[in-house]
Amino acid sequence: MNIFERLQMLDRRWIFLVVAVAIIVPLIIPFNSKTYTTEPTEKLYRIIDSFAPGPDEKPIEKDRALLLVFTHDASTMPELFPMEIAILRHCFARNIKVFTLTFLPSAAPIMDYAINTVKEEFPHVKSGEHYVNFGYKIGALMLPIILGMGEDISEAVDIDAEGRKLSSLPIMKNIKNYNEMNLIMDFSGSSAGGAWIVYARSKFGANVGAGVTAVMAADEYPYLQTGQLTGMLAGLKGAAEYEKLVEVFALKKREFSRELLKDPEYDNAITNPDIPYKFKQARIGMNAQSVAHIMIIVFILIGNIGYFITKYKEKQQG
Amino acid sequence: MKRSIPLAIVITLGFLFVGYVFIPHKISTDFYEWYMEWIKAMSPFGVVLGIMSIVMTHSARIQHKVPNWQYSIVTLIAMFFTAYAGFAWGTQEGTPFMWLFKNVQMPMGATMFALLAFYIASASYKAFRARSAEATVLLLAAIIVMLGQVPVGVSMFGEGINDITHWILNVPNLASKRGIALGVGLGMVATSLRILLGIERTYLGGGE
Repeated sequence: MNIFERLQMLDRRWIFLVVAVAIIVPLIIPFNSKTYTTEPTEKLYRIIDSFAPGPDEKPIEKDRALLLVFTHDASTMPELFPMEIAILRHCFARNIKVFTLTFLPSAAPIMDYAINTVKEEFPHVKSGEHYVNFGYKIGALMLPIILGMGEDISEAVDIDAEGRKLSSLPIMKNIKNYNEMNLIMDFSGSSAGGAWIVYARSKFGANVGAGVTAVMAADEYPYLQTGQLTGMLAGLKGAAEYEKLVEVFALKKREFSRELLKDPEYDNAITNPDIPYKFKQARIGMNAQSVAHIMIIVFILIGNIGYFITKYKEKQQG
Repeated sequence: MKRSIPLAIVITLGFLFVGYVFIPHKISTDFYEWYMEWIKAMSPFGVVLGIMSIVMTHSARIQHKVPNWQYSIVTLIAMFFTAYAGFAWGTQEGTPFMWLFKNVQMPMGATMFALLAFYIASASYKAFRARSAEATVLLLAAIIVMLGQVPVGVSMFGEGINDITHWILNVPNLASKRGIALGVGLGMVATSLRILLGIERTYLGGGE
């Protein structure tokens, strides 16, 4: 048996071992890598940033808000959680009104965890003034709530996760329905966000964005092309891009500029000790993903070389 | 009787909801709002049924000592303890419920999902072969998209790899996805009509 035949018969446990090493080493030994931003991510960033109050405007008076819908459980957190905290960081840094909601009981702790993770860095942020967690609402009420928010959010949602009447909260000032809460961002590992496109987008004209796992991203492209999705964060890559945008623009209160993104100074985040791990975890993860993708490509190439050589030899012999 | 009554409920309510969508009259709107109030009451019953089902299934597994019955004990203990932790101490940050979520559910869920990477690597090595022209196109597209998704790909081949990746996702991928979506949509309409007209009855269970 020659080496190529042996490679064809390789025990898959060796492949598992190589993949494990390829993923673990870049996570343990961090190194800087360039993050290239894509248009769907930039569009989302820009629309969210446009919800920020102006320099002479009181944040509470602002008539724009963002709804983050958590439609996933713990299994997809490695990809989706960095997106969620990057967007929350953007909102808290720029005093953008933000609401959170889920129709999945298993996502309720994720919302609390995401809010608390980001809130630690922004002591001025208060529940009811800067953000409201609408909490978990039963799945059967999804449609009535989506449609009801088109008329009156306070009436459709009624109470938040802390049991307070929405209508009594200061954040609801100047926020009535989708005219004001003009972007819904759904995070999921499935096509669950489609309901927002069908009802909130088609019936009320709300902007809808999606944060999806990489394997689901291909399914969302038809909606991106038609404009039914305003933007999309695709997998860990999308999260890494958003992390970078928040750092380069939102935290420094700068206007978006593609030129500035090319500056290599902004690609040193991974080894920069001033940036907390939680706000660069997607970029660190992208290093592991880079190595893993290269490993998979190498496996495919080796497998194919072995396949063709074996086939050629068989042809010659027989 | 066991099949006729559920069938009659499905057909009647099905047509009533079709009426609500296509006839925006006060009667249909009032009916819909009344029904929504009932949904709130129905959901807790669904939870009770779910809990009963889990308890009965796993109790039977433990009682009859079926293979791997020990896992059923873990399932029941985990379910009741997590529920107790939530009811007793709440679900906010710093409570035992949140501790369980962060230290048990989150890593276990992520571990299960992460196994995908190992199976993709193994499957791509064992099965991803350029056996035909179509398979070769698929293979090349996969390699390009994989390279375009990671920074190292762009560093190796320049930003052009990003453009090719976007073209693959925006043109051939989009065309096929849209075709599939149209097919699924038509299939859903056909299945809904079959259910409404009582032709499709497999959802009732038990077979014909």
